[in-house]
Amino acid sequence: MTSQATDLGVVELDHGSGAQLSHELISLIVETLGDVYIGEMEDSAMLPISSGQIAMTTDSFVVDPPFFGNGDIGKIAVCGTVNDLAVVGARPLYLTLGMILETGLPIARLVQVLTSIRETAREAGVKIVCGDTKVVRKGEADQIYLNTAGVGVFERTPMRMRDVRPGDRVILSGPIGNHTVHLLSIREGLGFEQRVLSDCAPLNGMLDELLATVGEGRVHSVRDVTRGGLAAVLHEYAASSGHTIRIEREALPIQFETAMATDMLGVNAIHAANEGCVCLFVAPQAEQEVLAALRAHRYGTGAVVIGEVTEAAEPLVLMRGADGRDAVVDELQGAELPRLC
Amino acid sequence: MGKIAVLTNDLQADVVHKTPERTAAMAEAQPRFSAFLDEMRRRGHGIYHLQLVNLPDDPNVERDLDGTLPLQRGSQGAAILADFLADGDETVEKNKDSGFYETELHDRLQAAGVDTVLVTGLQTQICVQTTAADAFFRGYNVWVPSDCVVSGNPADRDRSLEWLAGYCATVADSKEIFDVLDAEGELPRKVVKILP
Repeated sequence: MTSQATDLGVVELDHGSGAQLSHELISLIVETLGDVYIGEMEDSAMLPISSGQIAMTTDSFVVDPPFFGNGDIGKIAVCGTVNDLAVVGARPLYLTLGMILETGLPIARLVQVLTSIRETAREAGVKIVCGDTKVVRKGEADQIYLNTAGVGVFERTPMRMRDVRPGDRVILSGPIGNHTVHLLSIREGLGFEQRVLSDCAPLNGMLDELLATVGEGRVHSVRDVTRGGLAAVLHEYAASSGHTIRIEREALPIQFETAMATDMLGVNAIHAANEGCVCLFVAPQAEQEVLAALRAHRYGTGAVVIGEVTEAAEPLVLMRGADGRDAVVDELQGAELPRLC
Repeated sequence: MGKIAVLTNDLQADVVHKTPERTAAMAEAQPRFSAFLDEMRRRGHGIYHLQLVNLPDDPNVERDLDGTLPLQRGSQGAAILADFLADGDETVEKNKDSGFYETELHDRLQAAGVDTVLVTGLQTQICVQTTAADAFFRGYNVWVPSDCVVSGNPADRDRSLEWLAGYCATVADSKEIFDVLDAEGELPRKVVKILP
C-alpha cells in the first residue's frame, strides 16, 4: 500500500464529485494500475487496432464477499471479461474499468483491488484504456462494484456456437463448483474455504496455446462456465445445435471437498458458477491432442472429456449415471445463488 | 494416543428456542445428552461449548422479524444453557456456522493434545455438520453421537447424519461410543480416501 493510500483513509462522497478529491483518487488509481493503464485522460481512448474484426463484451461484478481467500473482485473483473473474449477466439487487448464505490470503503481495500486488476491484466496481456469512478452513499452499494468492457482482435477464425456438430467431444478444462463453494463457505463460515479455492483465472493464454497447437477447425466452440454452471452452457449448446448432448456423471471433475459441500448445501455442482473453467466442443479426432495441450497449461491440468454431442435431433441434455441410465439434466429455474461474480 | 474432546454446538436459548420444533426436539434429547456429557466428564474428556455470537456488522446474520439481533455477546439468549454446563467445561466463541472458522478452537484443541472430537449440539444439518467437516479437514478423527445431535426437523437430522457418515465421520449412538471406548480404550479413525 502506498503512503498516499493511507493518507486518504476511506472513500468519501467528494471522491466522486469531480473536484480536488476526485483528482487525488484518480491519481492514486492511475499510480496503482501502473503500466497496465494506458489512458490519456481524454473523453475517449483512441487506440490502434490491427484487425478487420473485433470482439467486444462487457460484464458487471458484484461478488459477495468482494475479498476472498485467493482473489478478489478485481481479479474476477479482469478474468471474466478476458475469458469472454478468449472463448470466441479473440486476443484480448483492451479493457475499460468502471467502479462504483460505497462511502466508507477503506482506500487500502481499493488499492488491493486495483493491485489485483494490475497483476491479472499483466498476466492476461491486456491494457486498461479508460475508466470511470462513481461514489454512492453508505448502504447504496456493498463496498465496491466493478464493470469491465473488453475489446479483442481476431487473428484466427472466430469460434461460434453454431459450429458445434454431432460427434463433437465435450471437454472441461478443470474442476467445477470450486468458486461457488469457496464463496459460500466464506459467507457462512462453513469450513470448506481453506480446502476449496476459487478457480478464478485468465484463460486466454491457455486457449491461445491450445489453438496454436491443434490448429484451425479442430476446436469448434468454447464457452466459459460461469453463471448457471455447466448445465446452462450445455443447454445453450443443445438449443443452438438442435442436438442432444450427453455427459457422463462419473467423468465430471468435482473435487472431493466440493462434492461434500454441494451435497450438504443442496447445490448441484453442474449448476455452480465458476470463474476459471471452460467447456470445449472438439472434433472427435482432435480429442487427445486437445486434452494434452490443455493439460500442459497450469490452468488446464484437470482437463477431461465429459461427454459428446449426439446425433439425436432433440435439444436435450442427458447425464448418464454409473448404472448406464440416462437422466435429463434440467436447466436451473431461478434458484441461482446470487452474487458469485 | 491423542486426547478426546466433546464439542457442543449452540446450546443457547436463542438457538434452542427459536422455534417450537427445536424446543421440543431438545427437550426430548436433553436427558441423554446431559448424561452423555456427564459420563464423558467422568472419564476425563474435555467439553468445549461452541457459543454462537452474532456480530452486528455481519451482513449475513439472520435477524429477528422485528430487526433485533439475536445471540449478542453477553446476552441471556447467547449464554450456554445450564443443563449442559459444568465446572471445568470450556467455552469458545464463534461467529459463523463452523466452530473452527476464525476461532481459537483449533489452537486450544492442539494445545490440549486433542486428536479426536465428538461433535454434538444443534442444528445437526448446519453447525454440527460444518464443524465436523472442518474438524475432518484439519486432521481430527471425527465422531458424531447420533443421539446427541438435534434438529427442528427430524428429516434434516437424518439426512445430515447420513452425509456425515458418508464423508467424514463415524456416526454411532452414545451407548455404542462408550462400548467402543470400554473395549478398545480409544475411538478408531474412519478411513476416508480423498481423491485428488
